[in-house]
Amino acid sequence: MPSTRRRPVVDVALQGVAAEISERSDRADVIQRLRRGDVAFRWMTRLAAVLVLVILGGIIVALVRGSWPALRHFGLNFLVQESWNPVTNKFGALAPVYGTILTSLIAMLIAVPCGLLIAIFLTELCPMWLRRPIGVAIELLAGIPSIIYGIWGLFVLAPFLQQHVQPFIIDLFGNIPVLSDLFAGPPYGIGVLTAGLILAIMVLPFITSISRDVFDAVPPVLKEAAYGLGCTTWEVWRYVVLPFTRVGVIGGVMLGLGRALGETMAVTFVIGNAHRISPSLFAPGTTISATIANEFTEAVGDLYTSSLIALGLILFVITFIVLAAARLMLMRLNARVGR
Amino acid sequence: MSAVEFTIPSVHNAPIDVSGLVEKVSVRDLDFFYGDHRALKTISVPLYRERVTAFIGPSGCGKSTLLRVLNRMYDLYPNQRAVGHVTLDDEDILSPSQDLNMLRAKVGMVFQKPTPFPMTIYENIAFGIRLYEKLPKAELDNRVHESLQRAALWDEVKDKLGASGLSLSGGQQQRLCIARTVAVKPEVILFDEPCSALDPISTAKIEELISELKDDYTIAIVTHNMQQAARVSDFTAFMYLGELVEFGDTSKIFTAPDDRRTQDYITGRFG
Amino acid sequence: MALYDKRRRRNKIAMGLSLTATLFGLAWLVLILGVLLWEGFSGLSLAVFTQMTPPPGSAGGLLNPIMGSLIMTAIAVAIGTPLGILAGTYMAEYGRHDKLTEVVRFINDILLSAPSIVIGLFIYEVMVAQMGHFSGWAGAVALAVIVVPVVVRTTEDMLILVPDTLREAAASIGLPRSLMIRKIAYRAARAGMVTGVLLAVARVSGETAPLLFTALNNQFWSLNLNAPVASLPVVIYQFALSPYSDWQKLAWTGALIITLAVLALSIIARTLAAQGKSS
Repeated sequence: MPSTRRRPVVDVALQGVAAEISERSDRADVIQRLRRGDVAFRWMTRLAAVLVLVILGGIIVALVRGSWPALRHFGLNFLVQESWNPVTNKFGALAPVYGTILTSLIAMLIAVPCGLLIAIFLTELCPMWLRRPIGVAIELLAGIPSIIYGIWGLFVLAPFLQQHVQPFIIDLFGNIPVLSDLFAGPPYGIGVLTAGLILAIMVLPFITSISRDVFDAVPPVLKEAAYGLGCTTWEVWRYVVLPFTRVGVIGGVMLGLGRALGETMAVTFVIGNAHRISPSLFAPGTTISATIANEFTEAVGDLYTSSLIALGLILFVITFIVLAAARLMLMRLNARVGR
Repeated sequence: MSAVEFTIPSVHNAPIDVSGLVEKVSVRDLDFFYGDHRALKTISVPLYRERVTAFIGPSGCGKSTLLRVLNRMYDLYPNQRAVGHVTLDDEDILSPSQDLNMLRAKVGMVFQKPTPFPMTIYENIAFGIRLYEKLPKAELDNRVHESLQRAALWDEVKDKLGASGLSLSGGQQQRLCIARTVAVKPEVILFDEPCSALDPISTAKIEELISELKDDYTIAIVTHNMQQAARVSDFTAFMYLGELVEFGDTSKIFTAPDDRRTQDYITGRFG
Repeated sequence: MALYDKRRRRNKIAMGLSLTATLFGLAWLVLILGVLLWEGFSGLSLAVFTQMTPPPGSAGGLLNPIMGSLIMTAIAVAIGTPLGILAGTYMAEYGRHDKLTEVVRFINDILLSAPSIVIGLFIYEVMVAQMGHFSGWAGAVALAVIVVPVVVRTTEDMLILVPDTLREAAASIGLPRSLMIRKIAYRAARAGMVTGVLLAVARVSGETAPLLFTALNNQFWSLNLNAPVASLPVVIYQFALSPYSDWQKLAWTGALIITLAVLALSIIARTLAAQGKSS
């Protein structure tokens, strides 16, 4: 049946094909040629899709291969050793792993409540005309490259904390038993807490925009039903919106956590680069990515290099698990909302 | 007097004497705007205590808009506003000093689409009660039981109070919403096309419910189903293009309306 | 009434906190951008774009790192974009509901958020260690690995939005599948796909970690991609951590340049996306 629908785009596309047809009188030849190209194109796309999997596989293989010497030498002890000594060739992942987890934890403790609160403001309280500008401002914050956070932290935040905030807090908690250890020691300015703070500012816009998107997806009728009972705005959010969007919020939080764990540049500038675990949050420490960034190009010797790659493997495994869990949660939310 | 062209089951045959009735809600000269568009034009209508008032009219005539003024639901949306006088027991509910949460505690609403909260059946009811009263568990259980019975849902859910509200059928969900509304002891209940998403059997059950509820509550119901209005209500208001065309007791409206437009709508000539 | 008052108070506190949090978030934005503009702007001059990185103590510019970044980014986009588009095409056109697509989509989303320093290690193992030296090629490939997931995602999303009626119209005149995709679907989704590429470029412009041990760094002007190549983020890293004040000043200026470039790209991408939607 001849096609009766003609669309302009199709017409334009046919120009090239028509020219070819008029050149070759044998239509079967043309169709043969087109078909081969068709199959080739299809295979190219398939190959490209598989390439994505190959990249992932390549990363895993490369990391495992590179870290094999260190893992074989230290065994599982690698994970629990604190010492990191290039001279004696004794390496342990405990300090970097501890620092990675601690800074990310601090970052999430600050960024999650803040992010949720900002999302509540944007979806419930904010006047209409202000919503887009603030939304844009948040995306601006998210788009700033992490190295800018790093140098800003080093030159602005750290000195500020060192001169004005840390001495104050050290004095404040000086005599209280647990807190004095937690906030002890000379005010370096840089340190684990500062790094956590910078990470928090980095992760905040991310959590805010994901939360805002899921909050917006709640059917208005549901909120009206709660308001209709006389609920306050807070109660509507707490008892209706949040339970409804819970899975999406958790997914967003875990994505933010995945980012925080892997962040390098924002943290390297302000963490202090000390392979040590101290009780004080004001003390310098290190994270996996900061260690690799700082030491990789200077690492001499196979064991040193291999230990650093082993750190990379650990980081990759941790973030992979977190990100995979986040994806699964978000997939479940999409299935639910589709109902 | 022209004849009506279809049979109306069980219509009250005697006109109602309004002299003994109390006006629970009074609407006087109400205008409503969506942005610049005037959706309600100088509406004046009473809602009598312990009676059911139905609002009928073709789509877009403003009946839902009017209902949503009564509990200030439109307040949630920035470019909607109401101008005029609406009083509940002589208190002006349009005034900016009106406490909205208190108002909504007194004026409950059941929506077109059943909206159970993402909680268990028990929690759906208890949640509302807890907002206003601090009750020991035994009493709370009683109240939940009472509300579910009032909504004719108790027998069907008594064994699965811990199941999610969303696991019920459409008709059951709507009755759950009614139970939830009743649980907070309002004085007025607004029904916005409560049966339009339901099957005929659930619809019949809910209509029965409304007739029973009117003993204790002032009820307003918006519906596009004229037979429903005729079955369930004591008073009917016919609205068209944002105006209140005619208001009177249901038997009169459906047998001998004053206005030509009401007549045309009732007989199915338009809408 | 006590219960009611408590509820109202809690609501007021919660709403107050949400406003505070918003102001808190905006304050950081103002602080960071403000300082960046202040410090970076004062060092901005023509010399920055025409002179090379100086030894400490002398005046200079950022010519070689800017050049290096531009070149490596361009190569990364040249490699990553076609691969990403092809993969996205498979997922949206040929294999929309099959298992391969599901798995690739899952893995792709993880790669999208994977730590970029791990990508650097990967390329180090695969290219630098094999070749025996650092190189601009390695840096470009590392950036390409970051570009691919972004382009895959946007391509797939944009192609899925193309209505099936358009595809059916093409098929009904006998247009073979690949031609239909190339001539029609791509054209319909063009704005979205370009947006994706711009977003990838914006993302890659600020990346430091993957370059640290692939392209390394280079003090001098060099167009030899087989050797270490300077890049703006790595130079900023080196200069900022140094004790020399003129190096630090250049670091701020470089940071400003990157931020402005990223913001400009985002704005262009957003305008294109808006145009695409309205047309």
